[in-house]
Amino acid sequence: MSSRRESRLRTFGAKLRGFLSKYRHDDDFDDEIRQHLDLLTEKFVKQGMRREDAVVAARRQFGNTTLLQEDRRELQTLTSVEALWLDLRYAVRTLRKNGAFAAVSIATLGLGIGAATAIFSVIDNVLLTPFPYKDARHIVFPRIHGAQQSQDDGRQGYTPTEVLEFAENNHVFDRTTAANEDLILYKHGGGTEQFEGADVTPGTFEFLGMPALHGRVLQPSDYEPGAPPVFVLRYKTWRERFNGDLSILNTTLVLNGTARTLVGIMPSRFGWYDAEVYIPEKLTRNATGGSFPSWFLVGRLKPGVSQQQAEADLTVIARRLAKTYPQSYPAEFSVLVRQIGDTVIGRFEATLYTVLAAVGLLLLIACSNVANLMLARATTREKEFALRAALGAGRRRLVRLLMVESLVLAISGAMLGIFVAWAGLKFLVATMPQDLIPTESVIELNAPVLAFTLCVAVLTALTFGLAPALQSSRHDLNDSLRDTGKGVNGGFRGRWLRDTVVIVEVALSLTLLIGAGLLMRSFVTLREVNLGMRADHVFQTGLVLPAERYKTGQQVTKFVRPLLARLKVLPGVVDAAESSVLAPSNYTETNVDIAGKTHLEEWPTTFQQVSEEYFRVLRIEFKQGRGFSEAEVNDARRVAVVNETFLRKYLSNEKPIGQRVRLASLETMPDPVHDKSFEIIGVVGDVTNRGLQTPIEPEVWLPYTINATGPQVVIVRTSQDPGTMMHAVRQEVWNTDSGVALAFAGTLDDRVNQQLYAGPRFGSLLMTIFGCTGLILVTVGVYSVLAYSTTRKTHEIGIRMALGAERGDVLGTVVRSGLRLVLVGIAIGVAISMALGRVIGTQLVGVSVYDPETLAATTLLLTLTAAIACWIPARRAARVDPVVALRYQ
Amino acid sequence: MDIKKSEVLQGTLDLMILKTLHALGPMHGFGVARRIEQVSRDILQLNEGTVYTSLLRLQQQGWISAEWGLSENNRKAKFYSITRRGQKQLEVETENWERISGVIGRVLRLEGER
Repeated sequence: MSSRRESRLRTFGAKLRGFLSKYRHDDDFDDEIRQHLDLLTEKFVKQGMRREDAVVAARRQFGNTTLLQEDRRELQTLTSVEALWLDLRYAVRTLRKNGAFAAVSIATLGLGIGAATAIFSVIDNVLLTPFPYKDARHIVFPRIHGAQQSQDDGRQGYTPTEVLEFAENNHVFDRTTAANEDLILYKHGGGTEQFEGADVTPGTFEFLGMPALHGRVLQPSDYEPGAPPVFVLRYKTWRERFNGDLSILNTTLVLNGTARTLVGIMPSRFGWYDAEVYIPEKLTRNATGGSFPSWFLVGRLKPGVSQQQAEADLTVIARRLAKTYPQSYPAEFSVLVRQIGDTVIGRFEATLYTVLAAVGLLLLIACSNVANLMLARATTREKEFALRAALGAGRRRLVRLLMVESLVLAISGAMLGIFVAWAGLKFLVATMPQDLIPTESVIELNAPVLAFTLCVAVLTALTFGLAPALQSSRHDLNDSLRDTGKGVNGGFRGRWLRDTVVIVEVALSLTLLIGAGLLMRSFVTLREVNLGMRADHVFQTGLVLPAERYKTGQQVTKFVRPLLARLKVLPGVVDAAESSVLAPSNYTETNVDIAGKTHLEEWPTTFQQVSEEYFRVLRIEFKQGRGFSEAEVNDARRVAVVNETFLRKYLSNEKPIGQRVRLASLETMPDPVHDKSFEIIGVVGDVTNRGLQTPIEPEVWLPYTINATGPQVVIVRTSQDPGTMMHAVRQEVWNTDSGVALAFAGTLDDRVNQQLYAGPRFGSLLMTIFGCTGLILVTVGVYSVLAYSTTRKTHEIGIRMALGAERGDVLGTVVRSGLRLVLVGIAIGVAISMALGRVIGTQLVGVSVYDPETLAATTLLLTLTAAIACWIPARRAARVDPVVALRYQ
Repeated sequence: MDIKKSEVLQGTLDLMILKTLHALGPMHGFGVARRIEQVSRDILQLNEGTVYTSLLRLQQQGWISAEWGLSENNRKAKFYSITRRGQKQLEVETENWERISGVIGRVLRLEGER
């Protein structure tokens, strides 16, 4: 037994060797045979034959050399591999001959696979593995959630005491760590720059489990009292602010007045707490319960501990804390825990999964399309295969030939798909709104995604390759040789399947198209929404003033006045103003009272503090009254400007000028304003302050000089490209006070695009891509099914025409049979869109879900495209020559 | 009287070649064919080409080895020689052959007596 196996093994080994070095052996063998023949001839000549006779006799005695060669080849090489190579060459040749078919199939597959790969990459990078940290799935953060609060509300910041209580007394976390946002001012020779800093507790880097790229991470000794001050830098910041200069490692930088040594630079994906600089800080219990609850606490769940268990455990601790510090907790509350990234991903998750579903469907459609195409083609080749079978080709051989063909298609499709995915991903990343994904996630084509594509490609090849292959090889030979028309009706059982595929394709594609149409219209409407200001030619930047030198309104004014004066005389600058908020959004809120009006519910309003040039610089229109005068601002008079929404909501459109408003939160600010009653002197048109999809909030503008609170912002209107102002503005800021740093500097246009348009643009873009892909696929689908059925009906058409049917009749019949399917699909598609209306409705601005124009336009587009797809095979059918069609039998 | 030459049984050619190489030492394909022709005294009809197929098969099993050398009339020729494994195989095969031919012989005689 084993010797037989061994012998077989040896044979295979020899074959493989022969296969790999075929050519040399061929020559050897030929030599040997020739020599043998020569010797044999010599022998016969010696025996007395004539030379010519001897040659013939030698050949006779030797036998058939060709046969011998074949025997030898059989022995010495892997015939199946050689045949596969032949099949491959044949497949490529036939596919090239049917260029249109091949191109359509490959393009269809490429689109499907490409879209699936690109979106799967995004899903994988954003949803499945967004964080590079150790065991990131089990890192959670607690939130104090009041019973009255909405689901996503609640306090996420804790005092040091609270952090320590949670960290030391819980039973559900392996480890915990906490971080605190810390604005860092970095002073150097030229001026001051600002970093987003984070104070991190001991063990943070061990918790996250990422080593430094250069240098080291923070270690326990850095937290010891009296240890030399150190910090760790984020990769992106190192590249952008320090040009990736390695020599800064182990140098000392002055951060917030302390000389700190840079001990490590983190790898590019490290972005904990979205900070740029990490500073060690050890928490201590504070007798008064700590100052401000600003520490963000995370813990890693112990193995086997569920979120619910963690919530229950932490709630017990929080209830105990609530007894000691009742003012920090709502009357009724519980602790919720959420995975990190939840807040960022949450908003995007639904969109991504919707898109994934859409892409999966597209891929399915693409596969069934190609299957239909293959089926149509197999039908036209039935005779060819019958002939092959009749001449002795085995069933396995035929199946293999077809399989090789479909594999060639699938692999070409996969390669095109990978390219489409690569290009698509580049495009997606470029258009994706940055704040929608965690900063740590890197969107790229990665290995699992490529594996996924390959699986899809192979499965696709099997799905659509095997079905026609089996069908065409199962046939009774005589049937196929005798008849191609299959009687009158082409009654193939798979017909309903193909019809269903077309209907489903049309329905889905229409759904996508309607979605795309609605989002596009909504986006166009959005672009036309009047922002209430002119965003072009504006440069703005936040200014970080060192708190110890700027404590009062006068101190701030002493900095701002000269700065504005310097900015106004810069070349290319038209005007400059001061504000407390970066346009175009304002989330600074307070409750408001109006003298002489009583109300039970709270009246919230947004507010900002500006200089007199503000309304001029942003081109905000006055509806009533006037803006601030220079004197009013300089003297910090109690005057205010409100917007029209404020007037409508809180003053019921009464005469506003002279009314007095009181802003509650001015009293609780670090630099409180005690005389907080302001006289309204003007009303401006509404200015976007909460994005374009939500209604405008009431807003109040006050002179910036009333106190020294909050961030300072300068806004500059330019006559040249505002993007070029950065250096000049920074120089003027540093010339005025070298201790002030710039933050969020940029053009207003960019910020408007990023904040207001990027999301909607991304949505409508995605849907448009899907809609168009769907449309292409539907065209292919309708075409391939009709082409298939008309080919099968050639005979029937011939009879009809012989009996007197006109070309027009034939054309009409075929187009009608196709359009019937399309219309059913359209009806279903409209129904689906109506049903899904609520889903997309939340993303729409100024367009109804049932927008008749969009419905009409998309339906018309789809019908027209489908009609063309019907018309091509119909025209071919109408060209059938009855004589040829009948003789074909 | 026309005596038909017998066709060589599949497999027996391998055995004959093995035995020839064992008995006469290294030789080329032509020599092997001549030797078998001689020994069989024209009873067996040999398609001499099949000798080469057989040689190749034996070579693949590692029972014989081949080497390029010079023939007696100074031409390049491939010389085949039996290997140690081949000799072992020859013993096994010979024994096999004798047993089977013995059995067949007895069966045939039995048939004749009826």
